Amino acid sequence: MLNNKQDALAIIFPNSYDNEVPSLVNERLMASIPFASRYRLIDFSLSALVNSNISNISVIVKRNYRSLMRHLGAGRPWDLSRKNGGLNIVPPYAEKGIKVYNGRVEALASILEFLKGQKERYAFISDSNIVCNFDYKAMLAEHMENGADVTIAYKNEPIPYGFMNLQQTQTTDLYYTLDLEGSRIKKINTNSKEYGPQNLSMNIYLIERELLISQIEKAYARGDVFFERDILAPQLDSLKVCGYQYKGYTARITDILSYFDENMKMLKPENLDALFAGGNIYTTIRDDNPTRYIGNPHVKNAMIADGCVIEGSVENCILFRGVHVGRGASVKNCIIMQDTIVGGKAELDYVITDKEVGIRPGKVLKGDATFPMFVPAYKHI
Amino acid sequence: MGKEIVAMILAGGQGSRLYALTDRLAKPAVPFGGKYRIIDFPLSNCVNSGIDTVGVLTQYQPYVLNEYIGMGQPWDLDRIHGGVHVLPPYQQASGSDWYKGTANAIYQNLSFLRRYDPEYVIILSGDQICKQDYNDFLEYHKAKNAEFSVAVMEVPWEEASRFGLMVTDDEDRVTEFQEKPKEPKSNLASMGIYIFNWDILDKYLTEDEANPESSNDFGNDILPALLRDGRRMYAYRFSGYWKDVGTISSLWEANMEILDPEHSGIDLFNDEWKIYSRNSGMPGHTVGENALIENSMITDGCRIGGKVSHSILFSGVTVEEGASVEDSVVMGGTVIKAGAKVSHSIIAENVVICEKARVGEMPKNGEKDIATVGSGVVIGAGAVIGPKAMIKEDVKEGESQC
Repeated sequence: MLNNKQDALAIIFPNSYDNEVPSLVNERLMASIPFASRYRLIDFSLSALVNSNISNISVIVKRNYRSLMRHLGAGRPWDLSRKNGGLNIVPPYAEKGIKVYNGRVEALASILEFLKGQKERYAFISDSNIVCNFDYKAMLAEHMENGADVTIAYKNEPIPYGFMNLQQTQTTDLYYTLDLEGSRIKKINTNSKEYGPQNLSMNIYLIERELLISQIEKAYARGDVFFERDILAPQLDSLKVCGYQYKGYTARITDILSYFDENMKMLKPENLDALFAGGNIYTTIRDDNPTRYIGNPHVKNAMIADGCVIEGSVENCILFRGVHVGRGASVKNCIIMQDTIVGGKAELDYVITDKEVGIRPGKVLKGDATFPMFVPAYKHI
Repeated sequence: MGKEIVAMILAGGQGSRLYALTDRLAKPAVPFGGKYRIIDFPLSNCVNSGIDTVGVLTQYQPYVLNEYIGMGQPWDLDRIHGGVHVLPPYQQASGSDWYKGTANAIYQNLSFLRRYDPEYVIILSGDQICKQDYNDFLEYHKAKNAEFSVAVMEVPWEEASRFGLMVTDDEDRVTEFQEKPKEPKSNLASMGIYIFNWDILDKYLTEDEANPESSNDFGNDILPALLRDGRRMYAYRFSGYWKDVGTISSLWEANMEILDPEHSGIDLFNDEWKIYSRNSGMPGHTVGENALIENSMITDGCRIGGKVSHSILFSGVTVEEGASVEDSVVMGGTVIKAGAKVSHSIIAENVVICEKARVGEMPKNGEKDIATVGSGVVIGAGAVIGPKAMIKEDVKEGESQC
């Protein structure tokens, strides 16, 4: 499948579920949240697409996208700087007083002309709050085998705590569970509160490009907002909408706690192997030197990127690029983002520091396993 | 438009004194310092010095080097006009020639240089570890109104006879060149880095090629010819860190010196003068529950379960729980299994050292031997590799080699 690179294009929504992790998206959006010591969430979607030979990728940004633009550049690290297809970043269309879109329908409507001009037969649509090394080829193969009009990828898992906590009044962040009969979807439930494993949508969709265009044109004319709730759910009888069960490793970011826990899961070799087995994950290159251990620091159970200098103790931590842990410092159960300096004899426990934070020598910061303390970017304490 | 200066990197060195390490790759492609290859140093120096046109002259085992350099993007040398170009010997209408000597290698690529109409050409060596601003060197060359300049290092007088020496006057004008003399008249050793005015380089290389007696070498033939003609030749004194890593022991030493930037003078941790390299693309390294790491450098993709002491690990190295690595350089993708012990060694890429094998020994009685294991070798469980060993082929379980 997908021998021909023209076969499928992809559309990524980098802002989905931004509201669930307010502190992390203060100066960025969901897709550019750092993960697993040197990546940003969108690296996983982009790399998996590229590894599946899909190289026409549009990223429809909505707000706070400067950090993402900086990260993506011309798409070179993902081999997406190309003449045909490549990376296409679509900022909001801010003309004639049109307001920034709410749901996917408006967003997709804004790129209809672009979609009409493309050659690919299929379109993948994806969010970027799920870290996984997704096999798009396998999903397309199943889509064709089923003769489906639309395929939705799902994972059989309990509804995450972050989703369960969503306020009913908050209408912008929706999640979907699927009732299946065989592979065919019989019902799409919105913001279900059922306990136990559910067929929870990963919000990865596959649809023929022409069908997508016609559906969006109709829905936009009707004033519909949500692709799933307003387009798919009412047409389950007339369209063949199928589910594709993904069984690979996933890390779904639904709140700050799941962000913390999913990072920490990378410390288990079996999880790391599972996530990185399916092909390389690419990201921007910083040309940091290797990490240097000075003296005999106590380091246990940690994931550490390049460019760090470790003089103090590090336990159960994820350290991003360019972090400095000073002599006599103790960093436990922490996520320390890029270029943070932890001064000598400082003590950190259950703390997430955003990038370029400075912790003065001797400072003591403690959060809790159920409520990690968050230090915003550039803050000096 | 012409370029002010074009760099030519001599990267054809076979590196036969690196034995097992250069079996399948040219010396400039030998991995160094955790995530670099030796050639990253001259390439990064060029870019950091504002030189954007570089020819890399390859000859011996060029495949790894060619692939590594590629379009030059990691060094920001993928340019529309200029950039990095790999220049192997090629077939000409008059027949093909291997590069006969360093001067001949440049001679065969004079047409490449002509394309850029340079004012100056800097000749660099692809097998030295050095962070050097070539721009300072060029400024010196211009200030002296020189036709040829050579970078030199002051070396201790007692070691001077091991080097090619520049004898100079008070103004640092070169008056004589001594190649490894018994009685040195100078302690200014040539670093093999030269700046030529383009017209001088063109003229002397062409004349040298016409001389059938010549060995077509810069040191043996071109420098003496320049001296004979009284050309304006100057020595440029360089005092930073510089190391020719032509032997196993110097390669090991230079790696160890990186672990001690405060004293050795080679500081890879300085952002002002970055060394660029092609990236492994692996996730950050992980450190297990029972690991112990001291005074070491570890890079992406490594998995440390055991003990790592005073060592440099390249990308994707695994040190299983219960294994130990001490005073060693371990290159990319190598796996050191439980209970194995590696001491005072250089282990090349993708080696497997099985359970309870021992490689090398910590030096006793002042001996400084370094055990070396070539790329792709499998050292069987319980095997013992002596401190002087050079291993190129698999070693069976329980065997010992010294």
